[in-house]
Amino acid sequence: MGGKAILLVTIGFGFILSYISYNISGMSTRAVSNMSHYASATESHNLALNGINVGLAKLYQDTSWTGTIRQEFTGRDHLIGAFSVTMADLGGDVARMRSISEYPVPGGDTFNDTIEVFFDTEKFNGFELLTFMTNQGGNENFWITGDTVWGESHSNGRFHVNGKPVFMDKVTLSKGFDPAPGKGQNKAVFKNGYETGVAEIPLPPNFQELIDATNPVLGGTGRMYVNPEIWVTLTPGTAAPNDGMVYVRLSSGGPIADSLQFGVDVFNGALVGLGDVHVQGTLDGEITIGSLSDIIIEDNTIYDNRDYPNSDDILGLVSENDVIIADNTPNQSNVLIDGSIFCRTGSLDVENYNSGPVRGKLEVHGSIVQEDRGRVGSYAGGSLQHGYYKRYHFDDRLASGSIRPPFYPGYWVTTYAITNWWENVRIPDYRY
Amino acid sequence: MAAIMDIMISFVIGGVLLMIILTANEIAAENHMVYNGDMLVQEMLVSTVAILEGEFRNMGFGVDEATPTITWGDSASVSFLSDLDRNDATPPDTIHYFIGPVSELSGTQNEIDRLLHRRVNNGTVSSIGAVTIFRLSYLTQDGVILPRPVPAPRLSEIHTVEVSIEVQNPYAPLNPLGSNPEALFSSSLWQQTRLASQNTRR
Repeated sequence: MGGKAILLVTIGFGFILSYISYNISGMSTRAVSNMSHYASATESHNLALNGINVGLAKLYQDTSWTGTIRQEFTGRDHLIGAFSVTMADLGGDVARMRSISEYPVPGGDTFNDTIEVFFDTEKFNGFELLTFMTNQGGNENFWITGDTVWGESHSNGRFHVNGKPVFMDKVTLSKGFDPAPGKGQNKAVFKNGYETGVAEIPLPPNFQELIDATNPVLGGTGRMYVNPEIWVTLTPGTAAPNDGMVYVRLSSGGPIADSLQFGVDVFNGALVGLGDVHVQGTLDGEITIGSLSDIIIEDNTIYDNRDYPNSDDILGLVSENDVIIADNTPNQSNVLIDGSIFCRTGSLDVENYNSGPVRGKLEVHGSIVQEDRGRVGSYAGGSLQHGYYKRYHFDDRLASGSIRPPFYPGYWVTTYAITNWWENVRIPDYRY
Repeated sequence: MAAIMDIMISFVIGGVLLMIILTANEIAAENHMVYNGDMLVQEMLVSTVAILEGEFRNMGFGVDEATPTITWGDSASVSFLSDLDRNDATPPDTIHYFIGPVSELSGTQNEIDRLLHRRVNNGTVSSIGAVTIFRLSYLTQDGVILPRPVPAPRLSEIHTVEVSIEVQNPYAPLNPLGSNPEALFSSSLWQQTRLASQNTRR
């Protein structure tokens, strides 16, 4: 009797202790499962991330790729994980890469994580991004000793070198150098290297955006002058920023035909003349001066605030033909131009470049883009005989693309710049 | 006499067994509470981290490249831009994370726990969890730690956000309130040292 009772008591104790032990171990298991769930979620997310990396590597090799790549990772007899990455063109210059992971977890569930990367397939670059660019090579125009260029340079043709010019930043050429660097008289110094055989950057067929900005029918608040010639004089206002004046005359020294003040008059920054436009003065504001003929620089044309890169003034000089440095008294000893120069079918030229004494330095702080290289001086034996030495500095403010002269010409390039990156947010699940 | 001896021995054995049962019950209860506390803390931590981690990864989504993604960065609060509804037609949202005072959770035994708050734009403040530590550091692309609060001109330099979170059990069941309650608070620490959104690297 007593033996049976003891047996029952022992069995009872065993049952009770087993139940307690089961509960405790179950609690412990759930605590571990909780972190295991977090680890699995992280694994699933990393798997989606791997998919994106695979897709980006594929796109890097072949930018025309669209479609799906699926990769599975298997153990002996089961799936460890998988991802599918899809590249799709959404239209409107937008493409999307989407990676979805599959990560089986205990209990028969599968975690899915999604990562999406959005691309701009085309990007607008203003020509002001380049310090110096030519569409043609200019067979008779050479870079010579004493020429220095700060900022990136590009030509759709060739650069002809005779001497030891210094390029402080990278030079890219669609064709090449004449002669090749280090050969013959090409002793050019490239502080940041060069690259040949790069894609051409086409010049635009017009600068319609600038012209449209002067058309009130299209909502433009710029100014258009149909006179054969106009003289534009820029003057700074008060010590306050961006309150300069623009005076327009119909003859040199003639009465003022029109004027406007930055910050006061309704003006979008576009000023265009159908004929020649003569320019000089000190700018305190933002303006692009255009001409459907030539732009003639009569004197220094500079910013009121020349404290680079903190200046708040910006100038564009956009000419259908040439931008010409006049051979006049003010320009006999150095010429300063702060701004971005664009010559759609012509060049930056110096009037009478091959006569008279050396006139010092032509110093441009901004950008020069031209169809063909113009002549700013003539030389013999690698030494300047007439005209100007070249000093071309880049305006670092222009490098970001966010600061540019109003309605300044630009070009579209095919690119796959990542604009946005999105990853799913996992909502906590307490089943684990 | 033999019967009396049997009864006395039975009492002794029964008493010993009763003592064993009571001790086992006490140990089991204590272990249960500890494990339960651990699990509670981990669930709190994981849920908080999951929201925080997911949202920080999308920092800067739908934000113009020229606009700084993080608009405010201090040691215990951060504001950043992100397009939560993924709708280009609406401007990006401003998400603000900050911790509240310990007085908000004065009803708990834990004296250092506080709520981690989240607010979108100027909407209502919601709490995403209770934490004891919420610490943020900001690093540049070169790994330089920025001063906190990050000066406004240097907000665009932020490349990486380091987040440290500690969660403790709000209750210490085995310790009565006021008698060193920190002693048996379950705690769990999570630190992400390279939490950076791809959108800040464009």
